Amino acid sequence: MASESISVIKLRDLLLVTVPPDPGDETISALQEQVLRAMARHEAKGLVLDISTVQTLDSFFARTVAETVQMVALMGGRTVLAGMRANVAVTATQLGLTVGNALTALDVDRALDLLNAKPSGELRV
Amino acid sequence: MNEHQGEFRITSENDIVMARKVVREVSTALGFGLTDVTRIVTAASELTRNIYHYAQSGVMHWRSLNQGVCVGLELTFEDHGPGIADIEQAMEPGYSTGKGLGMGLPGSKRLMDEMTIESTVGKGTTVIVRKWLKK
Repeated sequence: MASESISVIKLRDLLLVTVPPDPGDETISALQEQVLRAMARHEAKGLVLDISTVQTLDSFFARTVAETVQMVALMGGRTVLAGMRANVAVTATQLGLTVGNALTALDVDRALDLLNAKPSGELRV
Repeated sequence: MNEHQGEFRITSENDIVMARKVVREVSTALGFGLTDVTRIVTAASELTRNIYHYAQSGVMHWRSLNQGVCVGLELTFEDHGPGIADIEQAMEPGYSTGKGLGMGLPGSKRLMDEMTIESTVGKGTTVIVRKWLKK
């Protein structure tokens, strides 16, 4: 079975990636590569990983996400993990997983707000 | 679902995804709630990946458990791989002889109610996990 297709959507100066519900290891690795290429190509300043349909977050997935967050950070971008389901959050925590320095948001809407919000210092005219 | 036991052969990386599907169906059919199903599926994902990475192939057996009023699910992961030299060390969070995070075995134990590991170096490893349906 071929790995599921991943779409990386450019949204203004951000990238939006919707992770499929039950991605295999190959799909997750491909996702990382696609994201990094798109970051460079679009000079994106941030990445939103929409995981609202993801059913299982195991150690391989978590490690790849944490790595991707780190790589995106080195390229000058911030990553927001959006929409983790409650049951997935419970399981990932009990398994002992962390997702590195990713910001998190309840949904994509809030993730976009988070990345677009200017630091308070820049609000002064 | 009428069957109360079955087996699934693990021979490729894609079988990790397939094993998750099988375990999701079986545990949902037994009446586990969404969070427990996610726990069981995640543990199965870790243990199936261990087989694929360390032994290349193996088998997952599943069967429903009935002990009086208690209903549960037992998953057995069996391989004829290199075996685990020091099981106690393998159960320590963060310890891995491969490229993993060292979360698979200790994490799976936390997600399930019971776990037993039998392993002989050069012969293989059998990991049995159980989850009981909370009334």
